[in-house]
Amino acid sequence: MTVANYFQPESVPEAIGLLADHGPELLVIAGGTIAMPLINEGISLPSQVMGLRRAGLDGINLDGYTMRIGAMVTLTRLGEQYHVPLLATDAGRIAGWSIRNMATVGGNIFAPPPAGDLATALLALDARLTISGAHGERELALADFWTGFMTTSLEPDELLTSISVPLDVEPSAFIKFGRKQANTPSVVTVAVTAGRIALGAVGPHPIRARQAETVLAAGLLDRATIATAADAAAAECDPATDAIATDWYRRRMVRVMVERALTELAAKSKGKEA
Amino acid sequence: MGSVVINLNLAGREVELLVKPLATLQSVLRNQLGLTSVKEGCRQGGCGSCTVLIDGEPMMSCLLPVQDVAGRTVTTMEGLNSPEGPTPIQQAFLDHHGYQCGYCTPGMEIVTTALLEHNPQPTRDQIVEALAGNVCRCTGYQPIVASIAAAAASAGEEVR
Repeated sequence: MTVANYFQPESVPEAIGLLADHGPELLVIAGGTIAMPLINEGISLPSQVMGLRRAGLDGINLDGYTMRIGAMVTLTRLGEQYHVPLLATDAGRIAGWSIRNMATVGGNIFAPPPAGDLATALLALDARLTISGAHGERELALADFWTGFMTTSLEPDELLTSISVPLDVEPSAFIKFGRKQANTPSVVTVAVTAGRIALGAVGPHPIRARQAETVLAAGLLDRATIATAADAAAAECDPATDAIATDWYRRRMVRVMVERALTELAAKSKGKEA
Repeated sequence: MGSVVINLNLAGREVELLVKPLATLQSVLRNQLGLTSVKEGCRQGGCGSCTVLIDGEPMMSCLLPVQDVAGRTVTTMEGLNSPEGPTPIQQAFLDHHGYQCGYCTPGMEIVTTALLEHNPQPTRDQIVEALAGNVCRCTGYQPIVASIAAAAASAGEEVR
């Protein structure tokens, strides 16, 4: 089967209209770095495809205490902004230059693990999603968006249009731990902000380490607390075995990397107070 | 919908093309236009051998629907070649053994072109970072890094 139609809507209403017309058989692609390999290999054989590069979703807007990122903003563009340092650091660590010029913020939220490094940082920032559909817009916390491995609460006639993050989240720390320094799927990705710990590549989707966060809520970021939180994160994550790493190894690395990230966070917090 | 007509600016030349829906830029450049510097390596965005410049920025042409770049400027190594002989970047790759089998070379030189455009005097770390998405299975990368450092140095000489 070959692709019968490739639609390139030039606005969100036009895109939503196409979704309404074609239903779930319409494959939506953003930067194409996840969908196109599957199509090239014949694993995915869509007949109707919609690309969003012309849909006007590539703006970054500051709105009071919030940065609103269009779903089609590229990782390169996100890496160039300085308002939210965690996202700049994270975006710069994903894949290689050419992929960062194509891959999008919205697309990363749909990336199956062990991909989804950016979504992990967005989760640590408690990002909110704006979702548009035929019946208007709705907002949803990113933490409530995923329902399982490659499944979300997005309805077939809805489109993720933007991602909002608070501007005042400081300090933060981010570790992408892979088998190489760059252009590599993660063994584990850790993003931490004050009170929030997000883990990537060790569950069906990026996850919050809620038990570990409870440990942090109890008090100071001293060595004992950090060690207890890291143990809790290793216990509560749900890693898979794949070509990159075994679940055994990933769980142990969660412990090590959460401890490192929280230690970095503690040092930055201290620096801020002084 | 069937095939669609699109326009590209290919190295300064306007071309009009009839393409299949969702055809990749890589397949159009190589198979339809005969630009064989654009390799079909992994078709996964994992090897970098299909890298081209879109408005001067490197992208993986195997992951890019050609319709997405309609109206934009596409540059392949064919567009950077000079009839007078190797360009400074190509000469640096020749001098420093920056290739063996040559399969990754167009992608490497495309990325080099963009890197030196953004950052004429890159550090070694910046060169390595820029190449992170391009795989070479022959050289072990050190001669490629040396080639790029030499290309940057020779460009600096020319300016002086």
